Amino acid sequence: MAGLTRTAGAFAVTPHKISVCILLQIYAPSAQMSLPFPFSSVAQHNRLGLYLLSLTKSCDDIFEPKLEELINQLREVGEEMDAWLTDHLTNRFSALASPDDLLNFFNDMRGILGSLDSGVVQDDQIILDPNSNLGMFVRRCILAFNLLSFEGVCHLFSSIEDYCKEAHSSSAQFDASNNNLESLTQYDQMDMENYAMDKATEEIEFQKSASGIFPFHLHTPESLFKATEGLLHTRKETSRTGKKDTEATPVARASSSTLEDTLVDESLFLRTNMQIQGFLMEQADAIETHGSSSSFSSSSIESFLEQLQNLAPELHRVHFLRYLNKLHSDDYFAALDNLLRYFDYSAGTEGFDLVPPSTGCSMYGRYEIALLCLGMTHFRFGHPNLALEVLTEAVRVSQQLSNDTCLAYTLAAMSNLLSEMGIASTTCVLGSSYSPVTSTASSLSVQQRVYILLKESLRRADSLKLRRLVASNHLAMAKFELMHVQRPLLSFGPKASTRHKTCPVSVCKEIRLGAHLISDFSSESSTMTIDGSLSSAWLKDLQKPWGPPVISQESGSRKSSTFFQFCDHLVSIPGSVAQLIGASYLLRATSWELFGSASMARMNTLVYATLFGDSSSSSDAELAYLKLIQHLALYKGYKDAFAALKIAEEKFLTVSKSKILLLKLQILHERALHCGNLQLAQRICNELGGLASTAMGVDMELKVEASLREARTLLAAKQYSQAANVAHSLFCTCHKFNLLIEKASVLLLLAEIHKKSGNAVLGLPYALASISFCQSFNLDLLKASATLTLAELWLGLGSNHAKRALDLLHGAFPMILGHGGLELRARAYIFEANCYLSDPSFSVFTDSDTVLDSLRQASDELQALEYHELAAEASYLMAMVYDKLGQLDEREEAASLFKMHIIALENPQGVEQNMA
Amino acid sequence: MVSKESCRNEIRAAIRQLSDRCLYSAAKWAGEQLVGIEQDPSNFTPANTRFQRGSSSIRRRFSTNESISTPLPSVGFFQAATPLPEEDEAIDGDFYLLAKSYFDCREYRRASHVLRDQVSKKSVFLRYYALYLAGEKRKEEEMIELEGPLGKSDAINRELVSLERDLSALRRTGAIDSFGLYLYGVVLKEKGNESLARASLVESVNSYPWNWSAWSELQSLCTSIEILNSLNLNNHWMKEFFLGNAYQELRMHTESLAKYEYLQGIFSFSNYIQAQTAKAQYSLREFDQVEIMFEELLRNDPYRVEDMDLYSNVLYAKEACAALSYLAHKVFLTDKYRPESCCIIGNYYSLKGQHEKAVMYFRRALKLNKKYLSAWTLMGHEYVEMKNTPAAIDAYRRAVDINPCDYRAWYGLGQAYEMMGMPFYALHYFRKSIFFLPNDSRLWIAMAKCYQTEQLYMLEEAIKCYKRAVNCTDTEGIALNQLAKLHQKLGRNEEAAFYFEKDLERMDAEGLEGPNMFEALVFLATHFKTHKKFEEAEVYCTRLLDYSGPEKEKAKSLLRGIRMAQTGFPSMDLEHFPI
Repeated sequence: MAGLTRTAGAFAVTPHKISVCILLQIYAPSAQMSLPFPFSSVAQHNRLGLYLLSLTKSCDDIFEPKLEELINQLREVGEEMDAWLTDHLTNRFSALASPDDLLNFFNDMRGILGSLDSGVVQDDQIILDPNSNLGMFVRRCILAFNLLSFEGVCHLFSSIEDYCKEAHSSSAQFDASNNNLESLTQYDQMDMENYAMDKATEEIEFQKSASGIFPFHLHTPESLFKATEGLLHTRKETSRTGKKDTEATPVARASSSTLEDTLVDESLFLRTNMQIQGFLMEQADAIETHGSSSSFSSSSIESFLEQLQNLAPELHRVHFLRYLNKLHSDDYFAALDNLLRYFDYSAGTEGFDLVPPSTGCSMYGRYEIALLCLGMTHFRFGHPNLALEVLTEAVRVSQQLSNDTCLAYTLAAMSNLLSEMGIASTTCVLGSSYSPVTSTASSLSVQQRVYILLKESLRRADSLKLRRLVASNHLAMAKFELMHVQRPLLSFGPKASTRHKTCPVSVCKEIRLGAHLISDFSSESSTMTIDGSLSSAWLKDLQKPWGPPVISQESGSRKSSTFFQFCDHLVSIPGSVAQLIGASYLLRATSWELFGSASMARMNTLVYATLFGDSSSSSDAELAYLKLIQHLALYKGYKDAFAALKIAEEKFLTVSKSKILLLKLQILHERALHCGNLQLAQRICNELGGLASTAMGVDMELKVEASLREARTLLAAKQYSQAANVAHSLFCTCHKFNLLIEKASVLLLLAEIHKKSGNAVLGLPYALASISFCQSFNLDLLKASATLTLAELWLGLGSNHAKRALDLLHGAFPMILGHGGLELRARAYIFEANCYLSDPSFSVFTDSDTVLDSLRQASDELQALEYHELAAEASYLMAMVYDKLGQLDEREEAASLFKMHIIALENPQGVEQNMA
Repeated sequence: MVSKESCRNEIRAAIRQLSDRCLYSAAKWAGEQLVGIEQDPSNFTPANTRFQRGSSSIRRRFSTNESISTPLPSVGFFQAATPLPEEDEAIDGDFYLLAKSYFDCREYRRASHVLRDQVSKKSVFLRYYALYLAGEKRKEEEMIELEGPLGKSDAINRELVSLERDLSALRRTGAIDSFGLYLYGVVLKEKGNESLARASLVESVNSYPWNWSAWSELQSLCTSIEILNSLNLNNHWMKEFFLGNAYQELRMHTESLAKYEYLQGIFSFSNYIQAQTAKAQYSLREFDQVEIMFEELLRNDPYRVEDMDLYSNVLYAKEACAALSYLAHKVFLTDKYRPESCCIIGNYYSLKGQHEKAVMYFRRALKLNKKYLSAWTLMGHEYVEMKNTPAAIDAYRRAVDINPCDYRAWYGLGQAYEMMGMPFYALHYFRKSIFFLPNDSRLWIAMAKCYQTEQLYMLEEAIKCYKRAVNCTDTEGIALNQLAKLHQKLGRNEEAAFYFEKDLERMDAEGLEGPNMFEALVFLATHFKTHKKFEEAEVYCTRLLDYSGPEKEKAKSLLRGIRMAQTGFPSMDLEHFPI
C-alpha cells in the first residue's frame, strides 16, 4: 500500500553532515577563548559562521555537495586559513578509523552545545545556543546518530570511506590540472545557476499549490494546464517571428547535466522523501516545459528514472514522471502503461502528502484523477471518443466521491475536448453514457454542450478558488465567444433574442478576466513557505555569491543580497501562471487576426514572444513564431518569410507535432500558385493531405486546410467544376463539424470559383452568404475581401454595373488598405482601375492619374509577392492606358514588364531553382 | 540410443560431480530423477522397492504398463549421450577438502579464502561460487539493514563486479569449464546483461547438460517463444525437461504436457515430473485430476513442501476445508518458514473467511520471498474481499510487475476497478488479461459484464464478448443466456430465439432446471406463437406445463391462444374475415 513506508522529513546522518559538524567544531570549540585558534579576526570567524549557517540551511536539499566541492567552497571562505581548514577536515576524516571513532566524535559534538537551562554564559565563551539554527542542526545530527543501529553505523562508516576516497582521487587530479578543473567547476556552477533560476520559480509555485491554495492532486493541474494551454490555440494558425531566442536548449541541457550529477550522488545517499518528491516535481515541470523538444533527451531522463526506481521502488511518483516523459516523446503504449501503473500503486494519493489530509476521502483513493489523466492522454494522442468516454466516467466518479475540484478540471477538459476535436454534431456522443451533468445536455448541439460544461467548470472553479483553472476557463470562454454565435439555449417566443452575432466585447472581457490571474498571484506572494522544500533554493543561492572569487570583503552585504534574491524568488510569478497569461496574449492576437486587425495581432504576438517566450512551453512559442512568419508572408512577401522560417525551423522542427512543416507547405503552396507553378502546388497539396490523420474528427484544421488548398489549386488550373466539387464537399464537412469560420471562407472560395468560371450570377449568392457569415462573426477583413469579390462579380455581370461595383469597393477600401495583405490590396487596386476603365462615363484622358496611381501601387506590391498573373494584368492595363494617352515610352516599359511577367508565368520552373 | 541404464549412470556420475562443486540443488534435482527411473528388476533391493511402490494405482492405470513393456518412443532423437567429463585430478587437494567443509558449514568467505591459490578447475569454480554466495548472503542482510523510509533496495551483491571480471578473463583464455560458464551466466544475468548470460548458459548446458540449475537459469531468461526457439541447444534428454518447463512458463500447457508424458517413459516414478504435470493440468483447470495427483505425490513424498501451494489452491477451489487444514498443518510442521507454507495457511484462512489473518500469512510469505507471484495475487483477492480496493490494486499491480503475463492479476485489477464504479477504466485491464489467456470464457464474460453496466451500456460490445465466451466453451452457461437476453432487449427476436434454444439445449444436456429455463421456454413459446409457428410453440408450452407456478398459467393461456389461432375461428377475428 502506498504511504505505508512514508516517514516524511526523516533526517539521516550523511558524510556531508559530518563534514559540517567538523567545521562547526572548529567554529565553536568547547575551549574557552574569545577567538578560537585559526581565526585571525572576528570578521573571519563570522564569515565561517555565515557559511555554516547556509550549509545547515541547505542540508535538507536533495543535492549534497561532495567533499571536493566543499573544499573548494572552503577555499573561498577561508582565505589565508583555507589550507588549515581543509587539512583539519581531511585529517579528521582520516582519523575516523573505526566505528568507535564515530561514536566518540558524536560524543565530542555534545560538548560544543551549551546546556539548555544555564543562562550564565561567560562573555568570552563561544557556545552554540541549542535552540539556534546551528545548535538545532547539531542536535539533530546527534539524535539521528544515536538512533542508528550498529549496522547503520557500519553503513555510515563505509559511506564515509567512499566520500573521502572520491575526494582523494579527484584531488590528485586536481593537482595535476589545476586550471582545467577550476574552469570545469566554474562551468558546472553556471549550469547550476541557470538551472536554479529556472527551477526556483517553479518550486515556489509548487509550494503554493502545496500549501492549500490548491487542494488538488499536485501534478494534475500542471499537466492539465499544459495540455489545455497547448491546445488552446492550435486551431487558428497565423504567425510571425520574434528574434528572441528562448533558452529552452541550454536550460534543458543544464537540467539534464544536473540529473547526471544527482544520479551519482543518489547512489551514495538517498534523501528524505520530501526532498525527492520536490525534486521529482521539478523534473516533472522540466519535462512538461521542454519535453517535446528533442534537445531535452527523453532517454536520459528515462535512464535516470529507471535508476531512481531501482533505488527506491516505493517511490511511485517516478512512474508518473515516466508517463509524462513518454507522453512528450509520443510513445502511446509506454505512456499508458506508466500512467496506469502510477495510479495502481499510488491510488492517486502520492505527491499529496504536503497537503493537510482534510480534503479527505483517501480511503477510496483518488482514482478519478487517474481517469482525468487518462482522458487527457487519449486526447493528446488523438482518440477523442475514447477520451470522451473516460472523461464521462471521471465526471461520474468524481461526483460519486464528491471531489469537486476534480470535477471542475474534468469539465474543463471535456469542454476543451469537445471544442478542439471535431466531433461531428450528428453523432450522439454522450447519449450512451449516463451522467447528471452531461445528460441534461444530451439534446443540445455540441457547442451548447461546450458552453454548459465551461460554465459549470467555471462556477465550480470559482467557488473552489482554483485560480488557474478559473483563468484558463475564462480563456476558453473567450475562445468560445470568438468562434460561436451566442444563441439563447431556449429560443422561442417573441422575447427570444434575434442578435445573431458574436460579441467582441465579451471576448475581450473574458480575456481580461483570464489575465487577472497575475494580480491574484502577485498580491499574495508573501505567503508561507514550507521549510524543507525551499532548501534547494538556498544552496543554489549559495553558489552564486561563492562562485566568483572576487567577493572577499563585505560578507555582510553579500548575505543580504542573497536574502533579496531569495525574496525575489518568492515574488516572481510561477511558471504556469506566466504561461497562462502568455496564452491570453496569444488568444488576443488570434482574435485580432480574426476580427481583422493585422497590426494588433502582430503587436500581441510580439508581446507574447518578448515577455513570455522564456516561460512558455515550446508549442506555444512555436505558435507565436508561426503567427509572426505568416504575417511576414502576407505583408512583406515571401523572401522575408522564408528567412524567418529558416530560423524557426532550426528551433522547432524537433518539437513533436510541429506545425512548422505545415506552415512551410502553406507558404510554398501560396507562392507556387502565385508563380503559376501548378505542378508544385499540386504536389504540396498532396503532402498536406498526407499530414492529416485518416481518422475522422482528428486534425480537422489540417484536413480543412488541405482540401481548401486543393480546391484553390484546381481553380488555378481552371478546372472549375472539380474545384467546385471539392469546395462543396469541404463545405459539407465544415457544416458537419461545426466549423463556422471556415464555412465563411469556403463560401468565399465558391464565389471566387464561379467568378473565375465566368458565371457571375451563380457566384453572387455565395458571396452574399459569405458576407453575412462574416458579419455575424465580426470577421471584418474577410468581409472586406468578400465584398471585393462581390464587386468583382457585379462587374462581371456587365459594365453597366461598374458604378455599383465601385461603390462596394470604396466601402471596403479602408479595411483593405488598413489591414489587408499585399495580395488583397493589389487586387483591390487593379479592380478599381478596371472599374474605372469599364465605366462608360469615365474618361481616361481627364482622369488618367486615378487609374495609373492604383495600378502603380498594385504592381509595387505584387513585386514582393511574385504574383505574376496579377502583375501582368496590372502592366497590361497600364500599357493600355499609356497607349490611350499616347505616352509611347511608358507604354513600351509597361509592355515589357507585361511580357516579363507572362514569360515567368508560363515558365515557372526557372523560378523554382532558387527556391529549392 | 538412450537406455534407462545409461541415463542412470550419467545421473549417478553427475550427482557426484555436482555435489563436489557444492551445486546442491542441482544435485538434489538429479537425485530425484535418479530414483525416478524404473528400477531394473535384476538389482532390486527391498529398499528400492519400498521407495518406489508408493506409486499408486492411478499411475499404473495411466502409464506404467505401457512404458515398462514398450521401448522408448523415438529415442533415436536423443543423440549419443554427451561423454561425462573426466575429473581433472584424481585425488582432491587438501585445501579443496577444507574449503568444501567450510562451504558445507556455510562459511563461504572462508572457503573462498582457503582456495585463493588453487588452480584445479574444481577449486577455481568453488572459490568463485563461494564468493558469489558470500556476496548474496551479505546482500540479503543489507537489504534488511537498509530498509529506510523509502524502502531502499539498492543492495547489490558487491562481489559481482570482481566475479564478472575474473570469469570473463577466464573465459577469454579458455580456462573456464561448464560450471564456470554457469556461474558466469548467473553473474551476467544479475548484472542485467541477458543476451550474454543466455549465451553463456547455453554453452554451459551444451557441454554439461546435467546441471539443472543452469537449465532453470536459462529458462528464466526465455521470456518468449521466439527466444526459446532461437536457442541453439544440443539434443539431450535433459533438454526435454528444460523444454517442458519452459513451455509451461510460456503458458503452452499442452506442449508441456506432451513433453512430460514422453519423459515419463524413462522417469516413470519421478515426483518432479508428476508435480509438473499437475501444474500443467491445474492451468488447464482439471482440478479433480490435479487433486488425485497431489494426493499421490504426498503419499510418495510426505514431507514435500514445493508446489504444495498449488495443491492448496486446488483444495481452495474445491472448498475442501478439512483437507486444506490437514495440508496446512502438515507443511507447518515440516517447515513453517517456507513461503509455500505461509501461502497454504493463508489460503486456509481465506477459505474460512478470516481475511485479515489470511493477509497476514500472505504478507509473511512475501517477506520470505518478495517475488512470490501467487502470494501477491492471492493477497489482492483477500483485499478485494475486505473491500479495501486500493490495497488490492496495489497488490495485483505488484504481481503484474513481477510477471506481466499473470492474467489473474490483470483480471483482479479489472475487477477492483469495476467494483469502484469505473467500468471503462477496468476494461483496459480485462483486455490485458484476455490478451494473455484468450481461451477463457470467464474473462470474456467479465468483460461483457463490464460493457453491460448501466454506466457504459455498450450492449453491442457486450454481445461480441459473450459470443467469444460461447466459442470458448463457457461451462457455466452464463454467456448463452445473456446473449439471448441482450438480443431480446435490443428487439432482435430471431437472434434471441436462436440463443434461447441453444441455452435450452445446453440445460437439457446438463439436466439443469431453474428460472433461466422458464424464461427461455416462455420466450420461445410466445415468440413462435407470434410468428405463427404453432407446432414449435405448442412443444414449448407443453414443456412449461410440467412445472408449477405462474409459468404454468402463462403456458395454459398461451396454449388456449394457439388453439384459437389454429382453428381459425377466434371470436375476435371474425369480423376481419374477408367473407
